[in-house]
Amino acid sequence: MTKFLAVLKREYIQRVRAKMFIVSTILLPLVMSMFGIMPAIILNIDTGGPMRVAVIDQTGKMYGRLEAAVDSDEEEESDEKPDVAKSGPALANRKFHLQQVASVGPDAEAQRARLDERLQAKEIDGYLVLAPSFMQDGKAEFFNNNPGDVLSRKMLQSALNRALRDQRLIEAKVDPATRQSLFQPAEMQSVKNGATGQERDSSAGSFVLVFAVGFIMYLAILMYGQVILGAVIEEKETRIAEILFSSIKPFTLMMGKLVGVSLVALTQLAIWGTAFAAFALYGVNLLASRGLKAGSIPSIPFTHYIYFALFFLLGYFIYATIYALVGSMVTTAQEGGQLAMPIILILVVSFYLFLPVSRSPDSSFSIWVSMIPFSAPVAMLVRIVTQTPPFWQIALSLLIGFSTVLVITWIASRIYRVGMLMYGKRASIPEALRWARQA
Amino acid sequence: MTDITVQLDRVSKSFGDFTAVKELSLAARAGRVFGLLGPNGAGKTTTIRMIVNITAPDSGTITLLGGPINPSVQDRIGYLPEERGLYRRMRIVDQLRFFAELKNVRGRTVEAKIDEWLARVKLPEWKNKRSMELSKGMQQKIQFITAVLHDPDLLILDEPFSGLDPINVELLKEIVLDLKRAGKTIIFSTHQMEVAEKICDDICLLNRSQKVFEGSLREIKSSFGRNSVAVRCVGGNGVLEDPALVSKLVNHADEAQALLAPGADAQVLLRRLIDSGATVEKFEMVEPSLNDIFITKVTENA
Repeated sequence: MTKFLAVLKREYIQRVRAKMFIVSTILLPLVMSMFGIMPAIILNIDTGGPMRVAVIDQTGKMYGRLEAAVDSDEEEESDEKPDVAKSGPALANRKFHLQQVASVGPDAEAQRARLDERLQAKEIDGYLVLAPSFMQDGKAEFFNNNPGDVLSRKMLQSALNRALRDQRLIEAKVDPATRQSLFQPAEMQSVKNGATGQERDSSAGSFVLVFAVGFIMYLAILMYGQVILGAVIEEKETRIAEILFSSIKPFTLMMGKLVGVSLVALTQLAIWGTAFAAFALYGVNLLASRGLKAGSIPSIPFTHYIYFALFFLLGYFIYATIYALVGSMVTTAQEGGQLAMPIILILVVSFYLFLPVSRSPDSSFSIWVSMIPFSAPVAMLVRIVTQTPPFWQIALSLLIGFSTVLVITWIASRIYRVGMLMYGKRASIPEALRWARQA
Repeated sequence: MTDITVQLDRVSKSFGDFTAVKELSLAARAGRVFGLLGPNGAGKTTTIRMIVNITAPDSGTITLLGGPINPSVQDRIGYLPEERGLYRRMRIVDQLRFFAELKNVRGRTVEAKIDEWLARVKLPEWKNKRSMELSKGMQQKIQFITAVLHDPDLLILDEPFSGLDPINVELLKEIVLDLKRAGKTIIFSTHQMEVAEKICDDICLLNRSQKVFEGSLREIKSSFGRNSVAVRCVGGNGVLEDPALVSKLVNHADEAQALLAPGADAQVLLRRLIDSGATVEKFEMVEPSLNDIFITKVTENA
């Protein structure tokens, strides 16, 4: 046991003290938030000022409506807004500068020619022609120099759309109150029919949490799988293994490494978690001070949190031990990286099982995948938050899972021990199995 | 409690079709330096790995410090493998502390010992450096410390001097002899006979997975006796090739070494040489070197 702790301590302290750990702890959230924030910032870079659009309104009624529609934000009709506009509220700031051009008269063609010239001279960015039949067929033409500016065109179209609808409603003599009630959206409240009677459903929030647990697991594996691989290979590459094996049982060594590296991963996740929580708290307060209501944390039974923690650990360790197994078979980290690719595939597949399981959590398919260690963490959590399975199933799933972790570690340590004696040779699968038996 | 520290009894080990060690029995006595000698691939390293419990023998028994191999016995063994390494990015002092912990030794005594040993191998100023900053020879001395830091009763050194310069060989040799005087048992594997000759009390000669010879260095040398003659002469070669007198003749640069045939007399050889008209410049009875014994035994065996 003391030797186990010695290995664990070495793995942990060496890694946490490394510059790499400190840098990645600080850098990764920055990079992640960059990915989140950068697109919005870039989309908001407004290089040209407001878009200057001339309007030839041959209907004679639309210009005013359009101007109003362009200026207003019309949040309540968000489903009619183009998707791109949602990605950043600030996009609505991309104002249009409209100007009406005398529209009626026979010299429409001449007018167009003049506008074309102004377009050429870059005095305007485009001009909109609303034909006299616009109120009926809704057909408009937009002439511009830059057909690639999809965003602005969509926004203009959406404004035009709203303006047309409003004008039609007014012409149909619909008063504003009726209009309001006509556009009132539907609201559906999900009610869970549970053992304790009907209750307001919290599983939407739980789902988000399951998803978060799955995602964090995925992230931890992706980041630390390679570290475990490296930790197992380290002694092979540096030829220290022989001294270690003369002092310590391979299984103890392997466990020490696995747990040591895992504690590093948990430390890093804990740092990020705390930072995120602080940030979120700050953010919620900020939103509250602006009179906005942030989504409250869903109420989840306390036991679920325990399950979340247990299945997260299970999921992490299952995949971590697979990485250790791969590490025991190869001689260099590069080889290991190639061999580890399928692991990620299994991980992704098991993650997507989340969909079929959530659709029918009590089907025999769901029961099976929630027992298989590789898919159990996500599948079982989905079942727990939807239709909580009997306790024995949860316990069995955990038992199978953690036993698998021990068995894989044991096999890995046997292969490691024999493989160490045969330097420079990567084990084929049958060889590895033979080594595991003969060690 | 006998004075035998390590005893192997008919130990065999094979890897697939290849037999690495076959029916090997040997005994290393306490307070002595036991040399495990043999050409490359003779089974020295496999034997050592079985003694330190890295691999288990297929058959036969190994008795260490009076009992079978178990974790507490393992802690009393110091091992310097042939394939050596250190954690590249770890500070020397941290590595030494870690390896001591793996032998269940920790606390303040370790700190003092680390300083003491670093001073002894003349590397005290490297204590807080990372091992990647050290030269290969320095690393080898640090690895030597990892084998002795926990004050083992049995020290196993696999080719400890390979790659060291003569000054450092001398330094480590002195340390090994000091440890022997302190009552430690040392098993020492090498194919460098000149080194073995200087520090081994007992030797075991392995060839092709089998023991060729085991005994004290004195014993083996006297068993060969002074039955070897260094000759430098002009002419008379036919005499030296007479199988009734000389069983083996090795020609060196300017002289020949003749191993006398059983029952042959050196004086008869000398007389025959003179009678044949040869001019004898040198005729000296010599003790065979371990190297000669080694070569003789190995070729006999083959």
